[in-house]
Amino acid sequence: MAEEKHDESLSDEAEWSDDGVSSENEKVEESDSSEDEVAPRNTVGDIPLVEWHKDEEHIGYDIKGKKLKKQPRKDKLASFLEGADDPKNWRKIYDEYNDEEVELTRDDIRLIQRLISGRTPHAEVNPYEDYVDWFEYEDKGHPLSNAPEPKRRFVPSKWEAKKVAALVRKIRAGLIKAPDEPKEEEANYYLLWGDDTNSAENKKRINYIPAPKLKLPGHEESYNPSVEYIPTEEEINSYQLMYEEDRPKFIPRRYLSLRSVPAYDKSVKEMFDRCLDQYLCPRTRKKRINIDPESLKPKLPSRKDLRPYPTTCYLEYLGHAGPVNCISVDPSGQWLASGSTDGTTRMWEIETGRCLKVWEIGEAARQISWNPVADRPILAVVLEYDVLLLNSGMGDIDIQTKTKELLHVSEPGATEDAAVSWMQHEKHDGIRIKHFKAVSSIEWHSKGDYFTTVVPTFKRDSRAVLVHQLSKKNSDKPFRKLPGIPVTAVFHPSKKIFFVATKRFVQVYDLSKGQRIKKLETGVREISSISVHPGGDNLIVGSKEGKMCWFDLDLSTRPYKTLKAHSKDITRVTFHRTYPLFASASDDCTAYVFHSTVYSDLNQNPLIVPLEILRGHKAEHGRGVLDCKYHPRQPWLFTAGADSTIKLYCH
Amino acid sequence: MPPKHYRPAGKKKEGNAAKYITRTKAIKYLQVSLRVFRKLCILKGIFPRVPKKKFEGNHKTYYSMKDINFLLHEPLLEKLRQIRAHEKKVKKAKARKNKDLAERLLNRMPCYKLDTLIFERYPTFIDAIRDLDDCLTMVHLFASLPAVEGERIQVNRIHKCRRLSHEWQAYICRTHSLRKTFISVKGVYYQAEVQGQKITWLTPHALQQVLTQDVDFNIMLTFLEFYEALLGFVNFKLYHSINVKYPPILDSRLEALAAELYALFRYVATGSARKPVESQTSGLIEEKKDTEEKMDPSVDESELRLAQLQHQLPSNEPGTLMQLLEDSNTNNDDDDEDPDTKECRTLFKSLKFFLSREVPREALLFIIPAFGGVVSWEGEGGPFKETDEDIAYQIVDRPTQGHKFLSRHYVQPQWVFDCVNARIILPTDAYLVGMVPPPHLSPFVDDEAEGYVPEYGETIKRLQTAAQKNVMPLPDLGNQDIADPQSLLAQGIIDRTQANEAAEERQKLLLLEKQYHDELKKEMSGTTYSSSLSNKNSENTGSDEMQHQDEDMVPVSTEKDDEDNRAKLYMSRKKKGLFEAMEISNQRKKSKVELLKERKRKAESSKTG
Repeated sequence: MAEEKHDESLSDEAEWSDDGVSSENEKVEESDSSEDEVAPRNTVGDIPLVEWHKDEEHIGYDIKGKKLKKQPRKDKLASFLEGADDPKNWRKIYDEYNDEEVELTRDDIRLIQRLISGRTPHAEVNPYEDYVDWFEYEDKGHPLSNAPEPKRRFVPSKWEAKKVAALVRKIRAGLIKAPDEPKEEEANYYLLWGDDTNSAENKKRINYIPAPKLKLPGHEESYNPSVEYIPTEEEINSYQLMYEEDRPKFIPRRYLSLRSVPAYDKSVKEMFDRCLDQYLCPRTRKKRINIDPESLKPKLPSRKDLRPYPTTCYLEYLGHAGPVNCISVDPSGQWLASGSTDGTTRMWEIETGRCLKVWEIGEAARQISWNPVADRPILAVVLEYDVLLLNSGMGDIDIQTKTKELLHVSEPGATEDAAVSWMQHEKHDGIRIKHFKAVSSIEWHSKGDYFTTVVPTFKRDSRAVLVHQLSKKNSDKPFRKLPGIPVTAVFHPSKKIFFVATKRFVQVYDLSKGQRIKKLETGVREISSISVHPGGDNLIVGSKEGKMCWFDLDLSTRPYKTLKAHSKDITRVTFHRTYPLFASASDDCTAYVFHSTVYSDLNQNPLIVPLEILRGHKAEHGRGVLDCKYHPRQPWLFTAGADSTIKLYCH
Repeated sequence: MPPKHYRPAGKKKEGNAAKYITRTKAIKYLQVSLRVFRKLCILKGIFPRVPKKKFEGNHKTYYSMKDINFLLHEPLLEKLRQIRAHEKKVKKAKARKNKDLAERLLNRMPCYKLDTLIFERYPTFIDAIRDLDDCLTMVHLFASLPAVEGERIQVNRIHKCRRLSHEWQAYICRTHSLRKTFISVKGVYYQAEVQGQKITWLTPHALQQVLTQDVDFNIMLTFLEFYEALLGFVNFKLYHSINVKYPPILDSRLEALAAELYALFRYVATGSARKPVESQTSGLIEEKKDTEEKMDPSVDESELRLAQLQHQLPSNEPGTLMQLLEDSNTNNDDDDEDPDTKECRTLFKSLKFFLSREVPREALLFIIPAFGGVVSWEGEGGPFKETDEDIAYQIVDRPTQGHKFLSRHYVQPQWVFDCVNARIILPTDAYLVGMVPPPHLSPFVDDEAEGYVPEYGETIKRLQTAAQKNVMPLPDLGNQDIADPQSLLAQGIIDRTQANEAAEERQKLLLLEKQYHDELKKEMSGTTYSSSLSNKNSENTGSDEMQHQDEDMVPVSTEKDDEDNRAKLYMSRKKKGLFEAMEISNQRKKSKVELLKERKRKAESSKTG
């Protein structure tokens, strides 16, 4: 390589030798830098030549201080032509500083090319040459530093002595121990529970609750369970539809031999979960009742001992064309009156079921009630705004004349604020008492002369409860104002006491003093009907949510017993007049018969026993049994249904 | 207006706020990190509580203040702080590249012991035994885990677990207190009865265990740390009770052959023989060992063992002592053993078992000796060879058996488990090689309470009663004898099963008597009823045509319903709710049984059709 280079340079030389000085200089000096080769003519230094010498004749000064003249300007065309002719024109560079044209040699070009490609400018330079240590060590005879050895190199160290002394002191004091041999993993167990007779009981933690044990595995966890424990494909698929927490955690599978059982993949995870449960789960003691559910049932007296009571449907009274709203049994126990939405009121003979009489009123009867006195065969029928007092036509001639006399209004009268007006009803030969608003209930006094009607108006209206006297054809407003909208009102069977049921309370008034005695808190949402025990000290209240409350008036203003028997509204509750029975009828098509013994001993609570559920009516437009009444002397119950039948249940 | 829960300064907290503390506050109160708190809770057995009112919100964890104060005064707390400080020193030394110091410090890490903690948590031995279920399951699980460096499961830890579990099994086996076994998909369940306590544990199948990522091994290892210590102390106490030195020194050769359990059995057997005067209970294993020695006198192993015996036993003639024991023990055993243990001890008595290579050796090596059998296995170290003529049962789990000895039964492993659960030796017909064995039933289920007895369960019951009848002649005892079987038992005239039968008979008699009394009562009540009815009828004044109604005209189906309704009507709301909940759960149980029956029926119909 070197030779070749040499040849080249030689050839270069041959080529360039006629050219001029530069190559000669190069050859002589053998220097790298091109500045060194030829000293620049101009000496002005690094100044903006173009600007400063723009208008001058010279471009600077040479080394001797003489002005360097600018060369005459060349004609552009001429210079172009010259360049076009000259094949070496591409090598020529105009040197502005010296104001001359320089022609690059081949070496210059090569050098430029190497620089552009990022190599060393000269090909012969090796950038990675081996290092040559120039210093000669041999035979020199002395170190670099000629200082004498210090004394401390020959005297024992005081600092070290101190350190050792300190260590010795520490070792003696037992602060530093000799390095132990790696400990052998030997847990030294001993008899921890020597004898359990010592007072270990005292040390027991008071409120420690041991963790519950894991559930023991059942048949289904076996590796080879019976066929019936393996769920079918559909069942397994149905697990996917379940909620995450309901889904069975373990799906039984059957392996035909022990060798085919794989490792259980969740064993570590389950153990981990157990660990988490043990230290993260709050523990409480829970009492789990493990008793027979039958033992929860109260011991009721046998039904057989409580007979007689109505159990089976014996008769049906057919004839009404619409739901039978109301029924009433006459005090002798022979006749039954019923009112229906088909606009008729009928009278039946109880024992035969024959319809004796039909009154075509043309308006739905809401309530119906026999006069409780036997020699006054009068029926009170509640229509929308009117109360009709009808002559039933029963009894001998004596009674009939008396009744007709009673049911005669000589001149139509009215109360001063026109709440009520009495007038004769021509068609059915009775009395028509017109009210200012719709009447909701009617109730006779036991003597048969007074009766009360309730007109649910608004709060504190004095006309809401009215007491009428039949003999004087007179109406009265016993209350100046009432606390709430009344629903129904009832007379006490023997005393001068009056019960008014508002929506949630039952107000008890003393009629002789004209003041309120009690307010019974039922706790139900809406009262539908009330009934007073013939003894007069007990009261039952039926509500529209299906609850029934028994009040002992001597005991408390709160219910003695609340029974939730029905799933729908209770339409009517009623006591039997002589037997210890009461009943409730409801829209869920059932009627309940209860036994209720009231003891004369005040210390003994009344005995209430549910006896029988009477079914048989059919639901119509969401209504079931609309009314129920007991026979006055027999333990029979009449029920009126929305399916336009009346049923008689006997024992 | 002060805030709602304003408490004036200086006034103490009251009620729930004083009795309970949330976890965050407890950590702050104890001045520890959550990790240390967790560890303390695990070791001390402290768990969250449910306060009556969660005063800081529903989503928080509450600890009893007493528990936290209990932790506060725990010396372990201080120790854990020291460890933490020490770890910092080591870290610092390492960071300074002071290797010597780091090493020295590492060697001197403060350590703590758990014995006081264990004694505190379980003041009596019975308490410890009662809480052993989880401990055993955990130790057995870790004994079968692979060592994983990344999860800090170290080899020596696993070996320790293995040893502890084998020691436990050796004790159970020695005292014949294993009661029930069950192969489930999860592993093998064992139930043993120690000091009247039923202990159930689960051992995983002897296969490579699966390690999942969603498990925090730090927590598991903290639990394991406590359990290891607990089981160690429990084992010590148990071994002490049968006069065996603890920790046992094992035959290194057997250990090397991975037959530690067997080695342990032998150790326990020889160990309890060391004090012949006191220990009157060790009869069987001596016997077994003796036969073993007769069996393979050629093997040098027995010599090795003899050398060990010389080393362990007191120097006065071991062989003769053992003979003495054998003679004296046979009748002494019965005195202090309960009949259950006796039954278990004699189930496989004088039967020899041989395990094939593919059978899970550990489980069977544990179970068969626990019920009095003698067992060997294919491979090195077994006490006798496959060619032994006396082998009665060979346990195999392969599709076909090539060479068969006519003198023995070849049965599948499930047979052993079923025998143990039924406490009788079942016929081997259904368990022969290559057959699909009958269903394996769980012994932990009370079939009567569940309301459904699987078919095979009934078969086993029949076999059991048949076996009992075979064993003893039917007792034709007089009424006087039946009246008090307990006294007879005391006299030792009839044994337990007979007593049971007598008791059953007595119960039957009682039942008959009761029925008779009931009927009498009914009759009496009937007469009173009719008379009362007639009285009432005479009182009634009204028309009587309708009173001839029959009382029994009420349809029967609704009567029951009505009866229910009537009773429900009279119940208080609370009781009604309880009653309904019970009914629902009963219904659910019933439907479960129904489902089982339905599936059974379908399976049968598909089989026939």
